Amino acid sequence: MKTLTIKRKLESMGVHECSVVLTDQSICIAGIAESLATKNKAGWYAAKFHTNVVNNIITDKNMRNEDCEHEQAISNELEGLSYDVIIIGGGVIGCAVARELSKYEISVAVFEKEYDVAVHTSSRNDGMIHDGFAAKPGTKKAYYNVRGNRLWEPLARDLGIQFRRVGSLILFRTPLNTILYPILANRAKKNNVDGWELWSKEKVKKEEPYLLDEQFGGFYLPSAGIISPYRATVALAEHAVQNGVAVHLLTKVIGFEMHDGEIVRVKTNRGTLQAKLVINAAGNWADIVAELANDKYFSLHFRKGTDIIFDKNTGKWQNHVAAMPNFLQIAEKTKGGGLIPTIEGNILVGPTATEIAERVDYSTNQDDIKELEKHIRLNKKLNLNQVITYFSGVRACTYSEDFLIEKSKKIKNLIHVAGIQSPGLASAPAIAEDVVTMSLQILSSRKHILKKDNWNPVRNTYPDLQKLNFKERAEIINKNPGYGKIVCRCETVSEQEIRDALHSSLPVYTLDAIKRRIRPGAGRCHGGFCTPRVIEILAEETGKNFSDITKKGYGSNIVLQSLEDHASE
Amino acid sequence: MNENTVNTINTEIAVLGAGPAGLAAAMSAKNNGAHVILIERENRLGGILKQCIHDGFGLVRYNEKLTGPEYALRDIKTIKSLNVPAFVNTFVLEVEKKENSFVLYCINEKGAYQIEAQALILATGCRERTDRQIFLHGERPAGIYTAGLAQHFVNIDGYLPGKEIVIIGSGDIGLIMARRLTLEGAHIVGVYEVKPEPSGLQRNIAQCLNDFSIPLHLSCTVKTVHGKNRIEGVTVVNVDESGKEIKGSEKYITCDCLILSVGLIPENEIAQSLNVSIDPDTKGPYVDQNMHTLVDGIFACGNSVHVHDLVDYVSESGTIAGESAVRWIRNKRKRNLIKFSHDNSVLYHIPQFVDFKSNNKIALYFRSKKTYSNTCSVNLIEKNSKTCLKKFKILRPSEMEKIVFDAQLQDNQNLMLQIEENYGNY
Ligand SMILES: Cc1cc2nc3c(=O)[nH]c(=O)nc-3n(C[C@H](O)[C@H](O)[C@H](O)COP(=O)(O)OP(=O)(O)OC[C@H]3O[C@@H](n4cnc5c(N)ncnc54)[C@H](O)[C@@H]3O)c2cc1C
Ligand SMILES: Cc1cc2nc3c(=O)[nH]c(=O)nc-3n(C[C@H](O)[C@H](O)[C@H](O)COP(=O)(O)OP(=O)(O)OC[C@H]3O[C@@H](n4cnc5c(N)ncnc54)[C@H](O)[C@@H]3O)c2cc1C
Repeated sequence: MKTLTIKRKLESMGVHECSVVLTDQSICIAGIAESLATKNKAGWYAAKFHTNVVNNIITDKNMRNEDCEHEQAISNELEGLSYDVIIIGGGVIGCAVARELSKYEISVAVFEKEYDVAVHTSSRNDGMIHDGFAAKPGTKKAYYNVRGNRLWEPLARDLGIQFRRVGSLILFRTPLNTILYPILANRAKKNNVDGWELWSKEKVKKEEPYLLDEQFGGFYLPSAGIISPYRATVALAEHAVQNGVAVHLLTKVIGFEMHDGEIVRVKTNRGTLQAKLVINAAGNWADIVAELANDKYFSLHFRKGTDIIFDKNTGKWQNHVAAMPNFLQIAEKTKGGGLIPTIEGNILVGPTATEIAERVDYSTNQDDIKELEKHIRLNKKLNLNQVITYFSGVRACTYSEDFLIEKSKKIKNLIHVAGIQSPGLASAPAIAEDVVTMSLQILSSRKHILKKDNWNPVRNTYPDLQKLNFKERAEIINKNPGYGKIVCRCETVSEQEIRDALHSSLPVYTLDAIKRRIRPGAGRCHGGFCTPRVIEILAEETGKNFSDITKKGYGSNIVLQSLEDHASE
Repeated sequence: MNENTVNTINTEIAVLGAGPAGLAAAMSAKNNGAHVILIERENRLGGILKQCIHDGFGLVRYNEKLTGPEYALRDIKTIKSLNVPAFVNTFVLEVEKKENSFVLYCINEKGAYQIEAQALILATGCRERTDRQIFLHGERPAGIYTAGLAQHFVNIDGYLPGKEIVIIGSGDIGLIMARRLTLEGAHIVGVYEVKPEPSGLQRNIAQCLNDFSIPLHLSCTVKTVHGKNRIEGVTVVNVDESGKEIKGSEKYITCDCLILSVGLIPENEIAQSLNVSIDPDTKGPYVDQNMHTLVDGIFACGNSVHVHDLVDYVSESGTIAGESAVRWIRNKRKRNLIKFSHDNSVLYHIPQFVDFKSNNKIALYFRSKKTYSNTCSVNLIEKNSKTCLKKFKILRPSEMEKIVFDAQLQDNQNLMLQIEENYGNY
């Protein structure tokens, strides 16, 4: 009866040849729709009847074929290996889980299909460790965000990365907004957010002298923090490796061998391995991984966001995260976004939110830049001439718009961590803790699990020269002259720091990987000056030719051929 | 500060940057009797000239056609013979302004140096505008480079950045690279310029494009980049007079490399950290006729002041900066600056200020706002008089012009520069 009503409703939205199947596990809708908007609308509607929505509605614009990015990397090197836990996905979630699992006497591997960790959403976000106010009360998002926010500060210290609680300011656009304070405070309280304040116009002016004059005070959340999302993900992975975890890059999970309702073997492009437990942290591909295990009870849809980064010399004009949302919309799926200081000292503006049909599409366009102008104008000092770059990322969302973090109901040894949209970065440490609890429950049925007594809580790092004063720099140069040779002039990166990154516990020999780790080329000249030198260092360290060095792995070589080779062709 | 780890050095003048501007500044400071040191962050002296292996340098200064490295070598030899200490591979982390001096905190592989100087000459050159600064959109493959970077790949490293190449922007470096890459066997599909006129020198259009039958598409730009790993193509689009894209004029062009020649930006991060005021038109510091910025004791020259198209004028400005810096540290006379502005017929000009009790001979450099193809006069407007400084048959924004004149500065009266078209007056 219920399904019929749902079906009628979907038809009225414009879904043809519609079918609806409602089970304990999920609601599955299918049919044909004219547009992605209709398909998503149907999905959101279905989510009212079950948190798990499988949306098999076909639109005109079919998804691009799932190409294996690294077909050339087919080998047998992993064949026959066996791990207690295999984590699929080297994003912030997979890496945080790996690090947390490294505390136990079990063998753990992370499989990542790309040439590095943090290639997808985990390096394409705002770097905000949200306070937890924005998430809808009662959701997993709200719960994990607030817990994650508390965990990041000590975690960042152990990882040796920077974290700063800059606080977040929601500006009032009319004097009337002030009366919303009790409502806002109530929501913050419901979500267990660590502190909130009402700021007067004058207080805002004093704290943020360059914000626009047409503000009427704001709601301030002191616990909001910032972090470098890719450095954080790499640091989590490195720390996991230092504590015994294996990270297999260019390794894509392409299937499972099942026996008796359990995964027994995991198939990859590098061989088939045994696993006692599999954790699906595959980000924008998590539904595909579920399907490979014959356990697809949720669909993902994809929301693209674009961000703009401003020159570092603008950093001094913005102290806190700031946004001026339209409060009429705040109950809805807020687009959010605003001005965000980055941990490296830039200002980031964004993100936008656009539903797209593809799993990933990192292209940018001028419309998104235009849309972000509404945030840019919040700060009187900012203009588009100060932009040094812009980029897009894609959030993987379930139709109930909440995280899905649970043991599979069908497969005994599979855990799904899916639909980790924003605030996934902020939530990662808390999600990791709970996933590990679930993992131990599953594993302990077959094996007694002890904590490692030699687990090192602190990541071994190379010197971070940004933290040194002049005298300390002098001393370190006396010990190792490479620290005195500056390669990247915009971000002040020395040659030895690049070499250090190539000798870390997770070295990756591409230009973008180096950029994510220590930033040569991430500054205002965008690698115009330092690229040849960084390529030379990469070539020296790997014994490869200058022309073999790539931007981001297979097929992305920087230069094509030496002049001599070309001339003799 | 610990004496063992940090080397302390005192000098009268510190020159930052050893391109042609810095070399000339150091030479002239030394020749005028000052103690001077030269600081360069790259491993060799010569600045951008190191990678400009084409000829055409030095026509004004030597009446000869030299290559970039040849031009630089002459200055480098002089610097060596004058025994000017030159620190290469040396990076300035920070400059601190003291009451009567500047302290530079520098590092190189031998250690850290604290260099105290009475005057500072900034000759830091410029950097290229990137694809992000012109808001190029689409995918993010490898194979997109600024022209200077492509020039480095070819001329210094010996590698081809691509074989099927689209060039966006018609700046001089892009034009020169079009020729250079053609000579190395690459195919240049075309040069796409968003403006209705090329931004590079006429001479380079003729010698680098026309001589090699490379098409120049005006009022046309790259709209979208395609390709996942390495660039595979671009969509180009025509634009109307106001720069707006003309719908329906999109064309897909296959290429494996995109080179940008879309302008240069003076490098002034150090100047800005010292509160030196920057001219929004030139993007370099405001200077007076002595290349003295608005902060006493800080001088600037070469491409860090404004982007030159001829190296000879770069050297000239260095020479002026060097001798003025010596004069200034010797008497520390208070300057009497008057504003030298321009109206909207002029794109920009140097100097923007005149110290009216100093040198009356003023070397004026300027670019017109638009192309004047009728005869026009360049006028100096004072209180209530207008003097024609020089007449030109043609003026183009892409070609910087120079006029030397004697300023009869009587009192504290502002000056203005103006270009006036003389219709029918040949
Ligand atoms: C524009 C934007 C701004 C955001 N801002 C914030 C913010 O400020 N704060 C915040 O908390 N959150 C933010 N988020 C959300 C946050 O980025 C994500 O929640 C988080 O990065 C998700 O991490 P993940 O590990 O789940 O996914 P990912 O980082 O995408 O990792 C999944 C990985 O799995 C790999 N994989 C997939 N399939 C396979 C397979 N079959 N075999 C092997 N590997 C596979 C993929 O290659 C990928 O690397 C933002 C997101 C966007 C798009
Ligand atoms: C590609 C190209 C082609 C050209 N072709 C011609 C031509 O054909 N004919 C012609 O006459 N002119 C030509 N020019 C113009 C002329 O050569 C340049 O304008 C001139 O080289 C600029 O000199 P400069 O000393 O101001 O700057 P640069 O040559 O750029 O030198 C600046 C130097 O300062 C150093 N530096 C910068 N900041 C610091 C710091 N903080 N600390 C230490 N060192 C620092 C840099 O490393 C660099 O070595 C060309 C210019 C370019 C870029």
